[in-house]
Amino acid sequence: MKKILAVTACPTGVAHTYMAAESLIKAAKANDISLKVETRGAVGVENEFTDQEIAEAHAIIVAADTDVLESRFEGKPVVKVPVAQAIKNPAGLLEEALNKEAAAPADLGKQVEEAKAKRSASRTGAYKHLMTGVSAMLPLVVAGGLLIAFSFFFGIDAGAEEGTIGAALSTIGGAAFTLMIPILAGFIAFSIAEKPGMAPGLIGGALAASTGAGFLGGIAAGFIAGYTAKYLKQFIKLPRNLEGLKPIMLIPLLASAITGLLMVYVVGKPVGAAMTGLTNWLTSLGSTNAILLGLLLGAMMAFDMGGPLNKAAYTFAVGLLASDIYGPMAAVMAAGMTPPLGLWLATLIAKNKFTKEEVDAGKAASVLGISFITEGAIPFAAGDPLRVIPSIMVGSAVTGALSMFFGATLRAPHGGIFVLPIPNAVGQLGMYFLAIVIGTVVTALMLALLKKPLVKN
Amino acid sequence: MNIQGLLHEQSIFIPLQANEKNAVIEAMIDGLQAAGCLSDKQAYLDAVLTREQTGSTGIGFGVAIPHGKSSGVSQAGLAFAKLSEPTDWQSLDGEPVKAVFMIAVPEEAAGNDHLKILIALSRKLIDSEFREQLMAVQNASQLTALLETI
Repeated sequence: MKKILAVTACPTGVAHTYMAAESLIKAAKANDISLKVETRGAVGVENEFTDQEIAEAHAIIVAADTDVLESRFEGKPVVKVPVAQAIKNPAGLLEEALNKEAAAPADLGKQVEEAKAKRSASRTGAYKHLMTGVSAMLPLVVAGGLLIAFSFFFGIDAGAEEGTIGAALSTIGGAAFTLMIPILAGFIAFSIAEKPGMAPGLIGGALAASTGAGFLGGIAAGFIAGYTAKYLKQFIKLPRNLEGLKPIMLIPLLASAITGLLMVYVVGKPVGAAMTGLTNWLTSLGSTNAILLGLLLGAMMAFDMGGPLNKAAYTFAVGLLASDIYGPMAAVMAAGMTPPLGLWLATLIAKNKFTKEEVDAGKAASVLGISFITEGAIPFAAGDPLRVIPSIMVGSAVTGALSMFFGATLRAPHGGIFVLPIPNAVGQLGMYFLAIVIGTVVTALMLALLKKPLVKN
Repeated sequence: MNIQGLLHEQSIFIPLQANEKNAVIEAMIDGLQAAGCLSDKQAYLDAVLTREQTGSTGIGFGVAIPHGKSSGVSQAGLAFAKLSEPTDWQSLDGEPVKAVFMIAVPEEAAGNDHLKILIALSRKLIDSEFREQLMAVQNASQLTALLETI
């Protein structure tokens, strides 16, 4: 049965708000329509909608002459009228609301876009800077990883045979990988200090790569360079006619020297040692530890669906590509695909536990899932977080663990199902695919088990 | 429901001899003033007229509920008038008005018990059976008795 929500409000808040509510309730009873009315009057907000009720509603009637926090209803069909209209013609309003098109499945894409945009906008401080660096680095990793994978197509040692196309592809991919850590560091610094941060960041990143400090060193270099440049910009005061020298000469020179010296003498060695330790540990990982790491990364990917914890796991895996470690990347991508895929499967096998809108949105979620856009699960999770988030976390953790256990590897940091057919991009292809399928099924079964059937009233 | 303390003898007009909207409003405000609900009559009148301008309070079915929230109201009050002649109120359904409730609400009145009574009355006015009983009321004690049932 379609559920309708209505919110009523008027400026004085003693008369029309409540008469409108009463009229709507009476008309809904007479026509056997499921309706909940929120009143915003002089005695405050009564019967306030929960996020879940809004998510499950077919449409929302706003009968108000004052603000009723309409942003809550974004993406939902809304019938908006002056409050008096609800007293005059309640049945007509209800009918109009029932006849509204349910939020189209295509809207899921829009909701996901909005959720992503909102998140980028709300990113602040260090996290924002880190993400600026990671997103600038990603195209290099994609291009480099896939070109190297292509080169294997010409034989596993093709890269070593000079003059062959395989060798050329391998060289190109290698060049992309060389730029990866400098660009990461450069753009972190750019995000902090704008243009004056760029040069010291790039230099610090190059030093991190050459001293073996890897992506961890690159992140450190980016922050050192960025904040150094930023503070120099603020604290160096020059006579006005020399001010022009500051951005072009003084800041790049001093910030690069400071960052570089710190990288060489202070940061480089310990971070390099940590990176070597991490690399050795990951390459010699026993199956128990591999499974544990996979579980952890998988659960992180699903927990906040594109939020900071998800990005931490993702950045970790992408950074390791620079050190020729490909297992965590495979686990992370698989675990990032299963939340939307599992939700899609759940809408098929447990139709009665999802609203019609959600069942429609499930189709769109499947597309987002195969494209490795974990955010596709957000609209479902927003409606019922306590049941959806644990379900997708379990499914993703299982997928991550299986992927690590099977020894699956992935050389590209993105692409979802579309990188699977690329020769040599994925190691243990068949088992990897199986891990994704199993995680999807586990997620869907958890959801079918945990979610309550929709209340028919 | 305890309607006393909200509806006073002085603010019940059965019947009220008036045939024009503004005259009805002014007569009823005088009643509220006499009942001791208003500290600044003009301020409350302005609030009521401003509210009428944003849209008629004639809710249809022959009933109107002019109301205002104003610092000129010292305590929440209710006035009732049964009009001797049906009077035009630019109602939602275009019908002339036969019964009028006037509601006075002080500026700061959140969570007040009186507000809850007024809200219950507003809800009740949507009930056609209640309205029929209201139209049949002949004197103040019948009105009070009816409102006690809310």
